[in-house]
Amino acid sequence: MTKEKPLVKDSIYRFLAVVRYEMLWHIRKKKVLGLVILVFSLATLSFVLPVVLGSIYNRPVNADPDHVINAGAFLGELGFFLLAIVTAMNSISGEFESGTIAPLLTKPVSRTVVFLGKLFATFLILLLTYSFYFLYMAVGGSIVYGPQNSLQLLPLVLLGSLISTFVWVSIVLAIGSLSRSSLTAALGAFGVWLGLSLGIGIFSAASGEIWILNYVPGGGARGFMKTGEGAPNSGPIVQAGIGSIGDNLVKFFLNPAAEVNFLSARTPLYTESLSLILTRSVIVAIIYIAVFSFIAWFALKRAQIAE
Amino acid sequence: MEFSIETIGLTKSFGAIKAVDNLNLCVSSNSIHGFLGPNGAGKSTTIKILVGLLRADSGRAKILGADAKGDDPRTRQKVGYLPELPKFPKHLTGQELLEIYGQMYGMSQSQLKTDVPKLLETVGLTGRGKSRIGGYSKGMQQRLGIAQALLSDPELLILDEPSIGLDPVGMVEVRDLIKSIAGHGRTVLLSSHLLYEVEQMCTHVTIVNHGVSLASGPIEEVTKHLSGKTSLEVEVVNMKDSIEEAIRKMPFVSSLTRKEQHLSIQLQTKDDVRTQISQLITRNGGIIVHMAQHGNDLESVFLQLVSKSEEKAK
Repeated sequence: MTKEKPLVKDSIYRFLAVVRYEMLWHIRKKKVLGLVILVFSLATLSFVLPVVLGSIYNRPVNADPDHVINAGAFLGELGFFLLAIVTAMNSISGEFESGTIAPLLTKPVSRTVVFLGKLFATFLILLLTYSFYFLYMAVGGSIVYGPQNSLQLLPLVLLGSLISTFVWVSIVLAIGSLSRSSLTAALGAFGVWLGLSLGIGIFSAASGEIWILNYVPGGGARGFMKTGEGAPNSGPIVQAGIGSIGDNLVKFFLNPAAEVNFLSARTPLYTESLSLILTRSVIVAIIYIAVFSFIAWFALKRAQIAE
Repeated sequence: MEFSIETIGLTKSFGAIKAVDNLNLCVSSNSIHGFLGPNGAGKSTTIKILVGLLRADSGRAKILGADAKGDDPRTRQKVGYLPELPKFPKHLTGQELLEIYGQMYGMSQSQLKTDVPKLLETVGLTGRGKSRIGGYSKGMQQRLGIAQALLSDPELLILDEPSIGLDPVGMVEVRDLIKSIAGHGRTVLLSSHLLYEVEQMCTHVTIVNHGVSLASGPIEEVTKHLSGKTSLEVEVVNMKDSIEEAIRKMPFVSSLTRKEQHLSIQLQTKDDVRTQISQLITRNGGIIVHMAQHGNDLESVFLQLVSKSEEKAK
């Protein structure tokens, strides 16, 4: 062995080692690749299917200049949730299950650095996946549906999708760190997602699109953008929850002064500005990410490894 | 004397089971210290407290002069650790694992480029560095475990059962490797339940059972002070009555039984008296073809201490 003392000792260098460790895990795991392939297959299908059906029934595909800008909505709450599950379910709990946690945590990097490295690697993987996805949608959408509007706003959709996904990532990480079981992390998060999806549906049917729906993970209350003198439910639909940040960012940039009607049955309940909806959903998402990430970090920091 | 590891009243329980009970362990610097005990004696628990994987309920543990408590990366900088039956991410190659761990130690890329291939060669994994760990055998994973423990040229090496999973040739290679490492001014704490391994490699030993230290110190001192009755088994060609009589007259001989050309001599001393006995037999015309002294070796001391400890526990 050379007796040369380590030249670079800074924490960023060590942090990047954890990021590399985690990135290689993401890249080489079949389920991550599988889901990415699935998302791209569905996107391809969304382009190909109208063309195929159009040629069968002799109906040309209509131009849709907003197809690409709605790509975030195409992924939707289920897409964000599934991507969060596959990228985060094994991240910490998998280390406990496989026993690889012992050599990892006995290296001279703090558990905080290990946690942040894993979180950052998950962020990078999601960023790469979404970037490729939106790029693919932009190219494919332009070919199939003709020239597209507001392509310059795609980075906002990407940003919003990342925030929405990270809410679920932090929930999955927290359950995984506490339970030290990937299966519990996945099933627990799925239970939360399913419970919220069903609960919100039942709740909004019974009580209307009331404010509390905007404070739980998911689409939130459903409203309609005000459009001049039409009926209160005649405008474009706006989901006010933390699962629609990307979509709402685009709507806000296109209509900064827009207002949204929320109804119970067909009776107006209340009206909110889109800027308020957007600000609130971003703040609520950040609070969720912070709280659940803190729980995940604390569980890892305090974990004792007896096995 | 300077200690690389020092624990004072270290205690750790898992529910009602006391895994480590008021343990005082002192590992002198530049020694190879065997940490010996039967399965479940508390060896791995003590080691996990030392490397920060577990928190002690009470007591103190010091590693290289610093308190070993909780998540302290600075303490771990100078420590190499091989867990018992180490597990590494299967999707990485051996080389990638060492490079990533090396980076966590703050080793530069140029240092890693030169040191990683050398380490792989040292532990007998030349040519397998670019294979995924998922394809490694148990023995290869153990070798990789030793490599990652040596990666940062550590001052203190903590090895938890380093021979598990290795074939006999591998065991000998690992023993030689550990001896050569210690020869370069490092301290090695070696946990094992293999008496032969500890006796072969270690300069010092601590014997534990039920989390309690039963004996500790240089191996020679421990075996000398704690051994019970010793005996000599001798096989002599050209056996004569005069040989038997002469041996009986020796002051340190308590009794003797003879069966054809085999002598079983019970001794009243813990000293090595093989030279005196062999001179006496040769002088009386006998030819020694086999001689072995029992009772003052590490195995006897270990068995004696552990059985006493088991009786006490009952």
